Amino acid sequence: MLQFILRRLLLSIPVLFGIIFLVFALARLLPGDPCRAALGERATDAICNAFNARFGLNEPIPVQFVTYLGQLARGDLGDSIRQGRPVSEILLERLPVTLELTLFALLFAVIVGVTLGRLSARRRNSPLDVGTMLVANLGVSIPVFVLGLLLAYLFAVVLRGTPIALPPSGQLSPGVAHQSLQQAWGLGPVDGFLGALLTFVSNMVIFSSLITGQWTPFLDGLKHIVLPMVALGTIPMAIIARMTRSSMLDVLGLDYIRTARAKGAPERLVMGRHAFRNALLPVVTVVGLSLGALLSGAVLTESIFLLPGLGRTLFEAITGRDYIVVQALTLVTAVSYVLINLVVDVSYAYLDPRIRLR
Amino acid sequence: MRTWRLFSVFAVLVLVLAACGQQGGASASAGEESEAPPSSSEGAEPSEGAAFEPSAYPEDGPAECGADNNPSNISEIRAEDERTVVFTLCSPDVAFLSKIAFSSFAIDDSAYLEAHGADGSIVDQPNGTGPYRFDTWNRGSDITMTAFEDYWGDAPLSPTVIFRWSAEAAQRLVELQSGTVDGIDNPAPDDFAAIEGDSNLEIFPREGLNVFYIGFNNTYEPFNDEKVRQAIAMGIDRQRIVDNFYPPGSEVATHFTPCAISFGCEGEDWYEFDPEGAKALLAEAGFPDGFDTQIHLRDVVRGYLPLPTAVAADIQAQLQENLGINAEIDVQESTTFIDNADAGNLPGIHLLGWGADYPDPTNFLDYHFGGGASAQFGDKFDDITEALATGASTVDETERAAAYETANNAIKQHVPMVPIAHGGSATVFQAGLEGAHSSPLSNEQMSVIAPGDDDQLVWMQNGEPGGLYCADESDGEALRVCEQIKESLYAYETAGTAAIPALAEECTPNDDLTVWTCTLREGVTFHDGSTLDANDVVLSYAVQWDADHPLHIGRDGSFTYFAALFGGFLNPPPAE
Amino acid sequence: MATTTFDQADARRAPTSLWRDTLGHVLRQRSAIIGLVLLAIILLGALLADVLTPYGPTENLYSVPGAQRLAGPCIHLLGCPTDQPQFVMGLDQNARDVFARVLHGARSSLQVGIVTVGIAIVLGTLIGSVAGYAGGWVDNLLMRIMDVLLAFPALVLAIFLVTAFQTLDVPFFGDRLFNAMLAIGIVAIPVYARVMRASVLSVRERDFVTASRALGESGRGILMRRILPNALTPLVVQGTLGIATAILEVAALSFLGIGAQEPTAEWGSMIGAVRNQVFSAPHLILFPGGALALSVLAFNLLGDGLRDALDPRLNR
Repeated sequence: MLQFILRRLLLSIPVLFGIIFLVFALARLLPGDPCRAALGERATDAICNAFNARFGLNEPIPVQFVTYLGQLARGDLGDSIRQGRPVSEILLERLPVTLELTLFALLFAVIVGVTLGRLSARRRNSPLDVGTMLVANLGVSIPVFVLGLLLAYLFAVVLRGTPIALPPSGQLSPGVAHQSLQQAWGLGPVDGFLGALLTFVSNMVIFSSLITGQWTPFLDGLKHIVLPMVALGTIPMAIIARMTRSSMLDVLGLDYIRTARAKGAPERLVMGRHAFRNALLPVVTVVGLSLGALLSGAVLTESIFLLPGLGRTLFEAITGRDYIVVQALTLVTAVSYVLINLVVDVSYAYLDPRIRLR
Repeated sequence: MRTWRLFSVFAVLVLVLAACGQQGGASASAGEESEAPPSSSEGAEPSEGAAFEPSAYPEDGPAECGADNNPSNISEIRAEDERTVVFTLCSPDVAFLSKIAFSSFAIDDSAYLEAHGADGSIVDQPNGTGPYRFDTWNRGSDITMTAFEDYWGDAPLSPTVIFRWSAEAAQRLVELQSGTVDGIDNPAPDDFAAIEGDSNLEIFPREGLNVFYIGFNNTYEPFNDEKVRQAIAMGIDRQRIVDNFYPPGSEVATHFTPCAISFGCEGEDWYEFDPEGAKALLAEAGFPDGFDTQIHLRDVVRGYLPLPTAVAADIQAQLQENLGINAEIDVQESTTFIDNADAGNLPGIHLLGWGADYPDPTNFLDYHFGGGASAQFGDKFDDITEALATGASTVDETERAAAYETANNAIKQHVPMVPIAHGGSATVFQAGLEGAHSSPLSNEQMSVIAPGDDDQLVWMQNGEPGGLYCADESDGEALRVCEQIKESLYAYETAGTAAIPALAEECTPNDDLTVWTCTLREGVTFHDGSTLDANDVVLSYAVQWDADHPLHIGRDGSFTYFAALFGGFLNPPPAE
Repeated sequence: MATTTFDQADARRAPTSLWRDTLGHVLRQRSAIIGLVLLAIILLGALLADVLTPYGPTENLYSVPGAQRLAGPCIHLLGCPTDQPQFVMGLDQNARDVFARVLHGARSSLQVGIVTVGIAIVLGTLIGSVAGYAGGWVDNLLMRIMDVLLAFPALVLAIFLVTAFQTLDVPFFGDRLFNAMLAIGIVAIPVYARVMRASVLSVRERDFVTASRALGESGRGILMRRILPNALTPLVVQGTLGIATAILEVAALSFLGIGAQEPTAEWGSMIGAVRNQVFSAPHLILFPGGALALSVLAFNLLGDGLRDALDPRLNR
C-alpha cells in the first residue's frame, strides 16, 4: 500500500512540473501589453518601461521562469499587477466564495440529479424517462449567461414584492454587515496559519455567519446564493441525472437483482436498497469529476451574479493581462485537481485491492 | 469513500492555507475589508500652536523649464503662507483651472500622505476632505462610505453611499428594476425607450463630451491617397449609424471636438453624405470597384461607442454598398489594439474614440493631430499642427477661434479620420429621487442625491476601481469614487463642465497666465481631523510631479494623468 | 451481439450483420430516434438555408420596405399583418434576418462539432493506442502529458489556447473560428486518449491478439485490424457526446468574443453580441439559444441511444 502511494506521488511530480511550465508559457503568450492593461491607454512608453522593470517583465523569458520557480519554491505566488497586492491575499479572499458556491451547487446537482435519474431509470423509455432526459439535456445546453439573466429577471423583477422574490446578484444586500470570525469571537489580530484559516472561513459568508449565529447575514446570504446555485448546478445536475440513470440500468441487469426479484422482494426495496446503493458508486466518481467542471462554470456564473470568487477573478485577470494572477490561480486549480485525483486513486486502491496490482 | 473525497478537499485547503500562512503578517489581515482611516480624535496633527513653515518644491529652487530633467510644464510650486500656494508654469496654460479641477489632483493631508503613501496603504484607505468619509471596501463586491459630519460645504443628503459595479448594461438595469440599487450608469442604448416608459424609473441623459471616429494611417496604401480618405468621408451615412446604434441625445459629429466645448466647432461642418460623389472620387483615385481592406476594432463598450460589433458590421456593410470596398472585421484584444494604433501598425480602417479628460479643445485636437501626437494617423499635416500650436498658446479669444477654424478646416480637407458621432449616454435613478442627475464629465456627485427608502444610496457603475489613490488612477470608475471622498483645488460644477472653486477660494493668474496664485479655503478639515494648509497642496502635487520623489509610489507608480495634463514628470524615468 | 460480432465479421460469415444489428438496436432506442430526427431537421435546415429564406445571413435589410432594426418575428400565417414584411424570427441589431442567420449558424455549428471532435479523436486515438501498445516510458510520458491537460478547467484552458494562437500569428491560425475549434479539440484529446488506451490494454493480452502476434502479424496490423475495431464502440459513443460538448464550448468562446467574428453567423457570437438586448429584443437570444439547445440535445440523445444500443448488457 505504502509503495503504491509513493509510486503515485512520484508520478504526480512530473505532472505538477508540466502544469507549472504550461501555465507560465501560456500566460506569456497572451496578447496585449500588461502595462497598458493595468495603467490605461494613456500611459507613455517611459511609464511603461518603469512599470515593466518593477514587475520584472523586461527580463528575458527564461530568466523570468527561473525567478518564478524560485518564488514558488518559497511559497510566494507573486504580486498582482493590477491590484498591487500579493496573490495569496487575493486567494484567501476569493477561494472561499467559490468553494461555498461550488458546494451549494454540488448539493443541488446531487439531490435533484440523483432523484431525476432514479425516476427515469425505473421507467425506462417511458414518457417520464424521455421527459427527464429532455430536461436534463436542455439544462446542459442553455448558455449559463442567458439562464442567469433570465432567472434574475424572473425572481428579482417580475416577482418583486412577492415572498419568493430573490435578489438578482451579490453576496449580501447592500448595508447588511457580516462580522469575521475574529470580530465575532472577539479575538485580536491573529497571525500566520491560524489567522489565514480564520480569514478563509470568515470569507465563506453563509457558513461563518451560521457558526457564529449571525442570523441576518446568514438568511440574507442564503437568499443570495439560490439563483447562482441553480445556474451553476444545472449542468452537473443534468450529467448526474444521466449517469444515475445509466448506472441504475447497468445494475438492474445484474444477476443479484434478478435473484432479489425472484425471491419476491418488493420492487421498491429492489430499486431502493439493492440497485440504488450499488449504482451510486460510479455516480460518486462523476460528482468528483464535476468539481473541475464546476470551476469552469464558476467563471461565467460568478460574473453574472457578481460574486467575488475565483472564477470571476481569473476571467478578469485573463482579460486584464494580469499574468501573475492568471498564473497563480490556474496553478492552484490545476494542482488541487491533481491532488484530489491522487487522494481519490489512493482511496480506490484502499477499497479495491485489485487496483494496486496493476 | 465519500469521506476520503471530503478529506482530499480538506487536504488541498490545508496546503493552500499553509502557502498563504507563510506570507506571515502581510496576509494575516488579507481578505478583510480595508479599514477606514482613524477618526477625528486620534491622528490629528497639531495645526494650532506649531508655527507654519511654508514649503516649496523643488526645495532647492525652481526647476529649469525644458531641461532634460524637466519636460513638464511646471517650474515651481511654492507655499507663500498657510493659505496661499503659487504655481509657476513654463508656458501659458489657458486650461489651468480646468486641469487642477481634475480629480487626479485631489489634495491629501501631508502627514497622512507621508505615513500611508510609502507602504501603499493610501490605495485602499483614502483620507480626504470630501462630503463622504471612506468606510469599507469589500473587494469584488462593494465600497461603502458615510457622511462626513465636519464637511465644509453643504451637508451630504444621504448618511451612507454604497458603490457597486457590473460590466453588463442588462444586469445593471435588472438591479435597478428589482430595487436593490437606487441609480445606475450607462443603460444600453436599446433600453432607453423602455426606461422612459417605466414610471418607477427616471432617466438623465448625458451629453456626449466624446467623439467616435474612423481612423486611417496615411502611410498605408490606399489610404495614402487623400481622395480615398475623402471618398470614405463622404461615402458613409453617419446619420444611419447614429440613428440605429446610439441612444437619444447622441449627435452626428460636425467636428472632431464636441460643440459643447468652447472653440470646439469653429470652421466648416463635416462633409454631407454623398455616395455618388464618393464613388466618383474613389474612381478618380483609381479604385472604381473599391478595394480590399480590414476594419480593426476592440470589443470594448465606451460612451463614444456603445455597440462596437454592431457598428463595425454596419460600417462594413456601408463600405460594401456605397463604395464597393470589401472590408474584413478584425477584433483585437483591447490593449493590443491601442498599442497597434499608437504605433501605426493598423493597415486598415480602425474604429476608436476619445472621451474628454477636461473640457478644452487641446484635450481633443492636440492629443490626436498635434506635433506630439502618436503615429496613429501616420504622417502629420503641417497646416494642422501649426494652427493647433497657435491655439494652445494664445489667450486671446478671437485668436483662439481663428486658430481652431484653420485647424478644423485643414482636418476636413486632409481627413486623417472621419468623425462619426458624439455618443450620448445616461444615468437612471429610481423615480423621484431628489437631486438625481447626470454629469457630462461622468463625475456624478452623490452628496446632492437623497437616499432611497432605507437611508442609503446604492449606485451601480460599470467597473470596480483599481485603487482609491486617484493620483495614480486613470479609469473613470475609480475617479468617480474618489470624487466623493477627496477634493481638488477646483471642481467641476455639479452636472456641468465649468471649473468652480473648491478647496481654493480662488486661483488668479498673472497677465501672461504663467503664474497662478491660489488662496485656500479656511477651516477645511480632513476626515482624520487634520486641517488643510498650503503645504498639503505642495506635497500632494510634488509626489506626482517628481518621479524621483520617495512618495512617487501609488498603486503602480504610473501617475498617468499628471504626465498627460502637465506635459511630463520632473526627473522622468529613462525612456529606452 | 456486440462482443461476439468481432469474430463473426472477421470470419466473413455475415459481414453486414454487425451494422444491421447495431442499426436495429439503435432504432429501438427512443432517445436515439428523437436525436436522429432532430439531427435530420438541423441538417436539412443547414443544407437548405439558401432556399428557406430569401435573405443572406450578412445582408442589412434597411432597404426592405417596412423592415425595422430589432423587429420581432412576423409570420403572416400567425396573424402578422400582411402589409408588413415577413421575417419568421425577426431582425437583429444590424437589420439582418435572424432566420437566415440561425440556419447558416447550423452550418457553422455542425462543422464545429465534427471538426473539433475529429481533431480530438484522431490525435487522441493515436496517442492512446501508442501509449497502450508501447507501454513503458512512452506510455508514462504520454499519459502524464494528458494528465497535465486534464488538470486544467476545460474552458479556461481553451481561453488560454485561443488567445495564445492569436499571438503566435502563424498564417495557419488565421481564422478565429478555426482557432477556437483547434483549442477545444486539443482540450478534448485526453478523453479519447484515455478511452483508447483503456481499450488497448483490455484486449492487448486477449487470446486473439496473442494469436495474431504468434502468426507474425506486424504491430501496426494488430493495432489497426484487431484492437481498433474493439475500441470503436466507446469511441463512437464518446465522440457523439463529444460533438455536443464541442458545439457548446465553441459557442461559449464565441460568446466571450474570442471565437467566430462578426458578421459570421454563429450561434454563440449571435447571443454574445446582443446579450445586453436580452430585455429589449429577447427574440435575438431566444432563437439562436433554442437552436443551440436543440442541436446539443440531438447529439446527446443520439449518444445516449448509441451507448444503450451498443451495450450488450442492456439488450434485453
